[in-house]
Amino acid sequence: MTSQQLPPGLIGARTRRKEDPRLLTGRAQFVDDVVLPGMLEAAVLRSPHPHARISSIDISAALTVPGVFAVLTGHEVRDACATPQPVVWRMIPDQRMTDQYALAVDKVRYVGQPVAVVAATDRYVAEDALGHIEVEYEVLDPVVTLDDALAADAPLLYEDWPDNVSCRQTIPKGDAATAFAEADVVVTETLTYGRQMGAPLETRGAVMSWDPFTDHLECWMSTQSPNLTRDLLGEVLGLPVDHIRVRTPHVGGGFGNKFDFYAEEVLAALLSKRTGRPVKIIEDRLESFVANAHSREQRIEVSVAAKADGTITGMRGTVWAVLGGQLATVGIGPCWLSMALMAGPYDIPNVEATVVGVVTNRSPYGSYRGWGQPKANFAHERIIEKLAHELGLPANDVRRRNLIPADKFPYPSQVFYYDSGNYADCLDMAENAVAERGWRKRCDAASNEGRALGVGYSFHIEISALGPSKIMNQAGLQHSSFDEEVVRIDSAGGVTVRTGLSAMGQGIETALAQVAAHTLGVPLDSVTVLHGDTQTNPFTGYGTGASRGAALGGGALLRASTRLRDKVLRIAGHVLEASPDDLEIADGVISVKGAPGGPSITMRDIGDAAYRRLDGKLPDGEDPTLEERDVLDPDNVAFSYGTTAVLVEVDRETGRVDVLDYLLVHDCGTVINPMIVDGQLHGGATQGIGGALYEEIVYSPEGQPLTTTFMDYLIPTATEIPRFETLHMTTTADHIPGGFKGMGEAGTIGAASAITAAIEDALPDLTLHLARLPVSPPRLLDAIDVATASKENS
Amino acid sequence: MSTPTRTGRNVSMTVNGEAVDRHVDPRRTLSDFLRKDCGATGVHVGCEHGVCGACTVLLDGRTARSCCTLAVQAEGSEITTVEGLADGGELHPLQEAFWKHHGLQCGFCTPGILLTVTELLAGNPDPTDDEIREGISGNICRCTGYQFIVDAVRDAAEILRGTGTGTGTGTGTDPTR
Ligand code: FES
Ligand code: FES
Repeated sequence: MTSQQLPPGLIGARTRRKEDPRLLTGRAQFVDDVVLPGMLEAAVLRSPHPHARISSIDISAALTVPGVFAVLTGHEVRDACATPQPVVWRMIPDQRMTDQYALAVDKVRYVGQPVAVVAATDRYVAEDALGHIEVEYEVLDPVVTLDDALAADAPLLYEDWPDNVSCRQTIPKGDAATAFAEADVVVTETLTYGRQMGAPLETRGAVMSWDPFTDHLECWMSTQSPNLTRDLLGEVLGLPVDHIRVRTPHVGGGFGNKFDFYAEEVLAALLSKRTGRPVKIIEDRLESFVANAHSREQRIEVSVAAKADGTITGMRGTVWAVLGGQLATVGIGPCWLSMALMAGPYDIPNVEATVVGVVTNRSPYGSYRGWGQPKANFAHERIIEKLAHELGLPANDVRRRNLIPADKFPYPSQVFYYDSGNYADCLDMAENAVAERGWRKRCDAASNEGRALGVGYSFHIEISALGPSKIMNQAGLQHSSFDEEVVRIDSAGGVTVRTGLSAMGQGIETALAQVAAHTLGVPLDSVTVLHGDTQTNPFTGYGTGASRGAALGGGALLRASTRLRDKVLRIAGHVLEASPDDLEIADGVISVKGAPGGPSITMRDIGDAAYRRLDGKLPDGEDPTLEERDVLDPDNVAFSYGTTAVLVEVDRETGRVDVLDYLLVHDCGTVINPMIVDGQLHGGATQGIGGALYEEIVYSPEGQPLTTTFMDYLIPTATEIPRFETLHMTTTADHIPGGFKGMGEAGTIGAASAITAAIEDALPDLTLHLARLPVSPPRLLDAIDVATASKENS
Repeated sequence: MSTPTRTGRNVSMTVNGEAVDRHVDPRRTLSDFLRKDCGATGVHVGCEHGVCGACTVLLDGRTARSCCTLAVQAEGSEITTVEGLADGGELHPLQEAFWKHHGLQCGFCTPGILLTVTELLAGNPDPTDDEIREGISGNICRCTGYQFIVDAVRDAAEILRGTGTGTGTGTGTDPTR
């Protein structure tokens, strides 16, 4: 395996982030800080019923509330839109589409579905007016759970469908039937992953300003996908995209929730068109629990066929996707990925995996950090644990026996080519680190005191650097996935990078500045990164998600900066009368290599030579200005990976689980900023811990959401979260300039698998069977009861 | 902009050292008042039900959740928001420490956490890690996983006590500074 080695410098340095002084002093602008002259504020009336026909809507009283400017209902919205709300991932060609508009037209299919919208002088008045809208519903039987939806006599969400199944697809590799027929051992598991969501601390929001004279639309949005949003607004509103400008101020966390394209931005645009004024719409937290895409919830059936020594010969699985009342922007995407990556890091020759998308009267299912991967991970890691138990082998021995060996890359999985990795080394490193830290001894010591501590592992892979546009199109993506970056040196030698990626806390501004400064040989302080405006910044396909920003943005910028550096050296060579090959740039000064104190020229002089006083400095045939752009549409995605090890304590009496220690061994290729990478791993793991132990969106049997505040939906706070330790390996992605792989989702993927394994390890006297997330105290007590009973009966 | 109504009331208070005097609706929250009427947009609203702590401000030196406080209730008080922490162009040592230790990602929770920690350190200038975690457990951060926040607070406490150089443990050397 070749590997790209970059010289030491700013790439790889733990630099402080450029964005932080603004954020630390309250000077950063978020979408709710945008205020325009004459701006109105909007509020949405949402369905109180999970499933109902709308018999009538009377908005006349609301229109008379002083301060109300406009009220819209479903029929008006449908008439004003060129298309229904878009679905960009269409992996399954014969999928039944739900084709809904930003407001419900005749029927509501989940609690919280928008039914009407008001624009008024401010949010207080708009909310007052919502109370004056009269809606009559004909309530229908709700379809609340997967089993409700699949029942033979289930009410239909879409009456022109034969059942509640939107899609089904099986992707085979090899011959699973033979593998299962010839297996020494077959183990099977049914898993349930709870419904969860990204819940960024800043809720979603938009400010829309439609110029009625020119039909130009100015948008300020808290979004991860500015170019995709612009294209989709153009489609839905029937506007040419050059009439639409999307600006993304600072984004207060995204986690996938702000990747998707929602009703509210369309509604604010239409209200602005109607009133001739800018309209702001900011979701409140209560709304966010029904109006944001939900995620994660699946039932997964998985089985493996294996030899007696633990070699896995075949895998079968079915992902039952508990979709909501309509498809969200990413459609079946995340659940399809759970199916496509179910074999994970293992070299399994025969795989047959299926995904079935089922609609229910719940909020739509969309993006959340990790996409389908936490569920795929839960499937392959749970089944590894079960197989190991069945064979009486240590789980890591079974992992090691089946991990894809380093010499098998690029490795053809069921769907993707995994680019590179040293999986076994990564697992070894984690095991060694755990041994050095004495976790097992802590377990034994605790056990002598009557306490229950356990160690658990998981191995994860993470698809990143998404991805080759044409292949993604063939896979059903209705957008591209390349990234374009522009770098310019100005007349005084300062550097400006323009990017289409969104800054949502992941430090992209700093990471890109490091790449440009490293490549050009200038101080980090001389680089400014501009983002957040589709009118002036380049195009990024897809959006800032799928762990693609640093890899593709960094790779494109590295290439552009390298070409710009070449031009700088040509100009410098001309002025210094030296060959460009003999020159070097350090700290913004160009001089002859190995000749300290010799002639030199600064980046400021180069800027002057390219923009102002060209005569005698700019070589003949060289264009004035200093600018390069680059587009990276990689040949393949990249796969990062890692091992998670956790130490937990279980309280058998209460079912409470405490995570005591947490170790991640991780490989994401060339690291741009280790501090940022560690921060991403910590934050992702924290979301993973939340998903493993605390977070669940719960519906009542009647279809009412019961978790609509932070008192019910339990996001971990500092007292639930342990210290993390991270160790790094570097296996570069050799098809990406710089060798970068992405890693923004890594921490979320393997957390639940490692934690459930650790809980089981903590109670070695019981054959605990954890198949449902989150492992809340009551669920753990139930599992302990079941295991205790089966032990007594045996 | 607040909608003046017949029930409007005058409120006066001091916000980051400046006297303000406004006519507001009695139902106007303190967070809306600070953000929209006083321009203190560093006050962030994450939940509007008193759980996340993003809207935390100092009210007469004690933390208050401005989303659950009405502007009229703050009559006569002295309010500090994140905008009031730095001294001119100089970051407060706490802000410096958060910067150095990567104690923030999206920064949405950060103003509330900085003010919560200001109160914490005023009462306990040398907290243990557990005390720091306990002290910020009323503030949700969805991004960081808290560890670098804890590191930052420990380091800032040392500097504020005047006992350390603030070399801390977290982020190592910084070639750009
Ligand atoms: S916004 Fe006030 S506590 Fe969350
Ligand atoms: S930094 Fe984003 S919520 Fe804390």
